[in-house]
Amino acid sequence: MPKRRRLEPGSPWVEFSTTAADWKNADPALLGTMLSQLHLIRAFEETVLELAGEGLVHGPAHSSIGQEGGAVGSIVGLRSSDAINGSHRGHHQFLAKAINHVTGGTIDPKSVVDTEVQTVLQRTLAEILGLAQGYCRGRGGSMHLQWFEAGALGTNAIVGGGVPLGAGNAWSQKHAGTSDITVSYFGDGATNIGSVLETMNLTSAWKLPLAFFIENNLYAVSTHVSEATGEPRLSARALGFNIPSWRVDGMDPLAVHLAMKEAEKTMRKGGGPAVIEAEVYRFFHQNGPYPGSAFGYRTKEEEAEWRARDPLDRVAREMTTLGLIDADGVASVRSQAQQAMQLAVAELIEADPDQAGKRRIKPDLWPNTDFVNVGVRGDGSELADTRILEPTTFTGETESVKFVDAVAGVMDHRMADDDRIIILGEDVHRLNGGTNGATKGLAKKFEGRVLGTPISENAFAGLGGGMALDGRFRPVVEFMYPDFLWVAADQVFNQIGKARHMFGGSNPVPLVLRTKVAMGSGYGSQHLMDPAGIFATSPGWRIVAPSCPADYVGLMNTALALQDPVLVIEHVDLYQDMGDVPSGDLDYYIPLGKAALRREGSDATVISYLSMVKHSLEAIEQVGIDADLIDLRWLDRASIDWDTIGESIKKTNNVLITEQGARGTSYGGWLADEIQRRYFDWLDQPVQRVTGGEASPSISRVLERAAIARTEEVVAGLELVIAGRGGRR
Amino acid sequence: MATILRMPEVLANATAAVVSAWIVDEGSTFSVGDTLAEVETEKALVDLPAEQDGILGRILAKPGDTTAVGAPIAVLIAQGETEADIDAVLGGAAASEPGPIAEPGPIAEPVVAEPARVAAPIASESRRLFVSPIARIRARDNGVDLETIRGTGPGGRIVRVDVEAAIATRTPEPAPAAAPATVSSASPSPNGGYTAIPHTGMRKAIARRLTESKSTVPHFYLTTECRVDELLALRARANESSSVKISVNDLVIKAVAAAFTDVPEANVTWTDTHLRRWDAVDIGVAVATDGGLLTPVVRGVEALTLTQVAATVAELVGRARAGRLRQDELEGGSFSVTNLGMYGTTEFSAIINPPQSGILAVGAAKPQPVVIDGQLAVATVMRCTLSVDHRAVDGALAARWLAAFTTRIENPLSILI
Repeated sequence: MPKRRRLEPGSPWVEFSTTAADWKNADPALLGTMLSQLHLIRAFEETVLELAGEGLVHGPAHSSIGQEGGAVGSIVGLRSSDAINGSHRGHHQFLAKAINHVTGGTIDPKSVVDTEVQTVLQRTLAEILGLAQGYCRGRGGSMHLQWFEAGALGTNAIVGGGVPLGAGNAWSQKHAGTSDITVSYFGDGATNIGSVLETMNLTSAWKLPLAFFIENNLYAVSTHVSEATGEPRLSARALGFNIPSWRVDGMDPLAVHLAMKEAEKTMRKGGGPAVIEAEVYRFFHQNGPYPGSAFGYRTKEEEAEWRARDPLDRVAREMTTLGLIDADGVASVRSQAQQAMQLAVAELIEADPDQAGKRRIKPDLWPNTDFVNVGVRGDGSELADTRILEPTTFTGETESVKFVDAVAGVMDHRMADDDRIIILGEDVHRLNGGTNGATKGLAKKFEGRVLGTPISENAFAGLGGGMALDGRFRPVVEFMYPDFLWVAADQVFNQIGKARHMFGGSNPVPLVLRTKVAMGSGYGSQHLMDPAGIFATSPGWRIVAPSCPADYVGLMNTALALQDPVLVIEHVDLYQDMGDVPSGDLDYYIPLGKAALRREGSDATVISYLSMVKHSLEAIEQVGIDADLIDLRWLDRASIDWDTIGESIKKTNNVLITEQGARGTSYGGWLADEIQRRYFDWLDQPVQRVTGGEASPSISRVLERAAIARTEEVVAGLELVIAGRGGRR
Repeated sequence: MATILRMPEVLANATAAVVSAWIVDEGSTFSVGDTLAEVETEKALVDLPAEQDGILGRILAKPGDTTAVGAPIAVLIAQGETEADIDAVLGGAAASEPGPIAEPGPIAEPVVAEPARVAAPIASESRRLFVSPIARIRARDNGVDLETIRGTGPGGRIVRVDVEAAIATRTPEPAPAAAPATVSSASPSPNGGYTAIPHTGMRKAIARRLTESKSTVPHFYLTTECRVDELLALRARANESSSVKISVNDLVIKAVAAAFTDVPEANVTWTDTHLRRWDAVDIGVAVATDGGLLTPVVRGVEALTLTQVAATVAELVGRARAGRLRQDELEGGSFSVTNLGMYGTTEFSAIINPPQSGILAVGAAKPQPVVIDGQLAVATVMRCTLSVDHRAVDGALAARWLAAFTTRIENPLSILI
């Protein structure tokens, strides 16, 4: 019979509750502050539900009524420089953090609302109503509340989506040498999603000060936690990742506070993350002013039991017992909170002159509709002082370098120059520069700044996003293959790409994402996409695709200087190519939005990028057509060089867009659409395109070749263009 | 009862034509078969015969007006009918007649001579003209009529090069008047005074067809020198006894036909789907007229005697110069002969007249030194250059044909037999 030995988890897991002594020992000012905050949040949420009932809140309003204890108990002791983020149900956390920030962490129950608290209440309500004076200028609404100065990083409508970003913030706090922490709030539903579990693993591996705060309210909408998991004690998730874990009664704000203080102690001294599970209960349904029992997924009796544990009553009762407040005092706190909300409402809402008995939002408070696209990305003004050099017209001394050495070379140079640059990715720190040598020599030279990640693209991409939002560091994230963007899609597109715009348009997200197209390498259907098309049709991202070493240097420098997320696409076919670069110069910048004309002609405009530039050049020479060849360099819709494209099309009237990858996710579709609308009257034939096939390239050498485009396919495309212009070359 | 007379589709795919003259006056009676009007197309002037007896009630298309094929040009009435009947039939034209009537033809745009009298545009099918956006704009900016252009893009789409070719081959438009001061103070401009001559239909057709030929038919050229002393002697003798005057060109036409009899595989024309090898030898004869070049076709030349050829050519040339050729006399043929010898031109090459596959350009017969059996001698030599459509005929075949032609010319009796 095999021998058995019981194994223990590496970190403790405790259940935590208060005793009468804890209440007695608690600072009366802390209790008074908690009581005041609880009432402010409750009155706020009641107001939101009232306005929602009148149809004045556009979209869902996820009420936190009943759950205030978790947020207030955990946040009341935090610093302003500590940070929080949260989920779709986040009003209570946001208010607690914002109020804590403006009050310095203490409120006298006799005088709950000062001007600054009043402003917080009004601006938060304005944001939820979608009004210009909101914290995110009305863009974020109920589910995207952000106020950086107060340490509120932004709430998130994707379940678990904010957690990797929180990890990035925690990374920056730690590596900036502070003892600050980040708390990421999420519900029971999110404990089953990859972002959260991947981030638990990553923060534990890297000992990051991130608190995973689970508000376990037992229901993911209507699905009970015991239906959704075999381990409904959700704090047990921590054990698999060697993270210390607390399970606490969230209806007891003091218990939450004390648990948080214990967790903070570990985190602030570099012990890594913590998990806190607070059992809470939302008194209403997922959203709106009706209880869950009205929808039949729980009973009125269950609701009555939880209501009896209302955190507002609990604190009032304990304080009364301790003689810290009386019934009138409690009533006064509630009344002060309600009055503050009436005042806030009066600033935003008025009687509707057209409908008797109805109210409406004051019309002049809406955002201007011309604000709709403002701040999708920055304006590029941060590049104003960069040293421009255009390699195509450079006449000084040059040297021949290998493409992949230019990749590592320029990064080496920038990292030496700029301590903020941090590289993250799979195997980037080993194998003598990652799988292709693109980070050669960097790990040794810049210790602690080249981070080999676990295989969890969603977590480490999001961690990079959190670093970018924080701004103290410049993350350079590598995806070993572009197809992994799908694995990390939430962080790449929902979070990093949208963050700046969604939270009001002014908080930048400077991040560089590097990846390599590997068509031709035999890696098959799930590794061989060209990501340009997907990124080009997603908001927020800028894209560069260098075709030669000299461009790579200048474009990477510009990408690192930009305050936007920039995708830098490389190609395995180019890595071993030699190219001339300005001798000894790694400090030049290629301006935003400048394409390169690789060949001049009069009969057709061939538009290409990356490795297809050289295939296009070969094809043009073979066919003998007199064509312009535009190497786009910048691919996204904000950075594309319409001047060069337009001038060429007006000259040639015939356009061929050449790219290598599968047609479905291809890049040229949006470009062809834009060209035909901008230059319809200049076209002599439809915009022609060269792409790969419908299928993703297979592993079989012949099938892979048949699935992608190279010189031969461009030749065929050029023949089509020639036929289209009447058969003359 | 009153009927509407519409512009016929005189020429296949023509979209418009001009009533050049009304032979019958408004209000006059006519009988079946009488010529009502003369209608001018790009290529020909045709008579418009009456299909029944009647009265020319009202003329709608005035002489000189360009009228779309299918559009009303007149109203014919019967005895006893009045203006009211004419108005009635015109008023109901659009409403009561669904679809194309009379001679339905492709119509580019309803060009109605007298819009005031016509209640509504004639219901008609539009021929869709496919033109690329830039070609459309270039045509508009340069006053090029897209209807006169054959598209060479996919599906016949008119693309930019087609318009540019049309711009390049036409007579320059009058330039915008320069400031008089400039003209008087400067030396005469190289682009100075000229008279703008508006294009006739024929001029446009020549430009279009030859541009099309030169830009779409791959031409190649072979030249031969024929000693024609014997031929000229034979012609002189023949003319002594012939009722019709026989020209060198008539002999050349007969020799061409004989050469096709010798090398029948050269008597072919190209189509996109197949080659056509013709049974008979139909030869176009280029005729210079005041209005421009016309190429009436002499049919079945291989079966005609020399005198018949001479008579036929003479008759066709006469009518060509009078502008009275029928459209069918201008169509078909696999080959043409063009002769500038009478102007002293020694050698030239000609543009093929589509859909034909060849044309022989005949120069002047001139005495010149030749070498015969190693001895220098003087002979009368005529140079002929053959233009060939390489799609239909390869070089070796063309060379064989040209050798056969030369043999026939140099042995002229063989032409007559």
